[in-house]
Amino acid sequence: MPLPTKLQEIVDDFAGMSREEKIETLIGYAESLPPLPERFKEQRAKMEPIPECMTPVFLFGEKQEDGGVIFHFDIPPQSPTVQGLACILATGLNGCKAEEILSVPADFFAPMNLEEAISGQRLNGFRGVLAHMKQTAANLLNM
Amino acid sequence: MSYAHPEYLVDTEWVAKHLTDPTVRMIESDEDPLLYPMGHIQGAVQVDWFSTLQHPVRRDFVTKEQFAEMCSKLGIGNDTTVVFYGDKSNWFACYALWLFQYYGHQNVKIMNGGRIKWEQEKRPLVRETPSYAKTTYSAKDADKSIRAFRDEVLTHSNARKPLVDVRSPKEFTGEMLHMPNYPQEGATRGGHIPGAVSIPWSQAVNEADATFKPTEELVALYEGKNIKADGDVIAYCRIGERSSLTWFVLKYLLGYPKVKNYDGSWTEWGNLVDAPIEK
Repeated sequence: MPLPTKLQEIVDDFAGMSREEKIETLIGYAESLPPLPERFKEQRAKMEPIPECMTPVFLFGEKQEDGGVIFHFDIPPQSPTVQGLACILATGLNGCKAEEILSVPADFFAPMNLEEAISGQRLNGFRGVLAHMKQTAANLLNM
Repeated sequence: MSYAHPEYLVDTEWVAKHLTDPTVRMIESDEDPLLYPMGHIQGAVQVDWFSTLQHPVRRDFVTKEQFAEMCSKLGIGNDTTVVFYGDKSNWFACYALWLFQYYGHQNVKIMNGGRIKWEQEKRPLVRETPSYAKTTYSAKDADKSIRAFRDEVLTHSNARKPLVDVRSPKEFTGEMLHMPNYPQEGATRGGHIPGAVSIPWSQAVNEADATFKPTEELVALYEGKNIKADGDVIAYCRIGERSSLTWFVLKYLLGYPKVKNYDGSWTEWGNLVDAPIEK
């Protein structure tokens, strides 16, 4: 299955960018990650933060009437890389059906060559957030 | 009671007064590489713990020659006072400082509290990247007295010499193999090196502003777990960054003469065939 159109566009955009453009664009995504909507705050307070070291990523998925899934994040501003990666995923996947989200390959971002801009180790965060989104999508599939 | 070597620390006010001091170079070293381009202390340069400090091919640090080249490009001379600061309570700042000491740079300091404190005090951050004239830098041979390798760690463990595991309690017990969502940084086995005591790195810093705890509290923390000044101490974590902070605390704040950082840490030990593990 091809990547969802919007996500494919983002991947293609990054593929053609210089290192500096990648950094600037990632910062742009980090800065445009919307805050967590009020209606999730209560649920968020009950969730366990992930211990030490790890950037605490809180994620919520909502199924729309047309079956599309919308993701909302709460990620601290001290972790702009994770915010940026999450925003790319939300921009590329919001509104997609759960089945489409589940079909995104774990290494879909390889052609973006993000290693140039952020160290390879941080890209594990990308895989982690995507895995988290897929789990959420899978749960919504059966609802 | 003051720290054993207070000259290795400066506060944010000191930094604010030395922004344009040509004998001082500020280095930002973060876990998150986007923080620096989004805003840093005026005049500061960035080193990335992975792309700048690690060898491009092997699992090791840059060579002595590559280190010298890096310093030269950052406008750091052999006499420059280098002040490190960063995110996450200065983990990666301590890691970078440790590597500078490994290659013999003498004048190094940590900005107490790092980015957290600087931002709390609403001090300015700028986006302009400075550039400095290249220097001639000559690095010294690696100082192996501050870096432990696996064979030595095994001997150390067998002799039941002091070993400090600074990871979170669940990593120490082996309940958690790796940081959640960081699957590639993990190890195939969980637990700790036999004989190690668990003293999470975070116990050495104040949660509120990321500054180091006072001497009395640090002494109680480490001596209480039998990690004493007369010992030959090795600290480790998962990849050697959190244990650099503990190394800094033991070596410069408490003045322990013999402390090494085992940078191979759990991502090496937990993958080593035949290495003894305790759970």
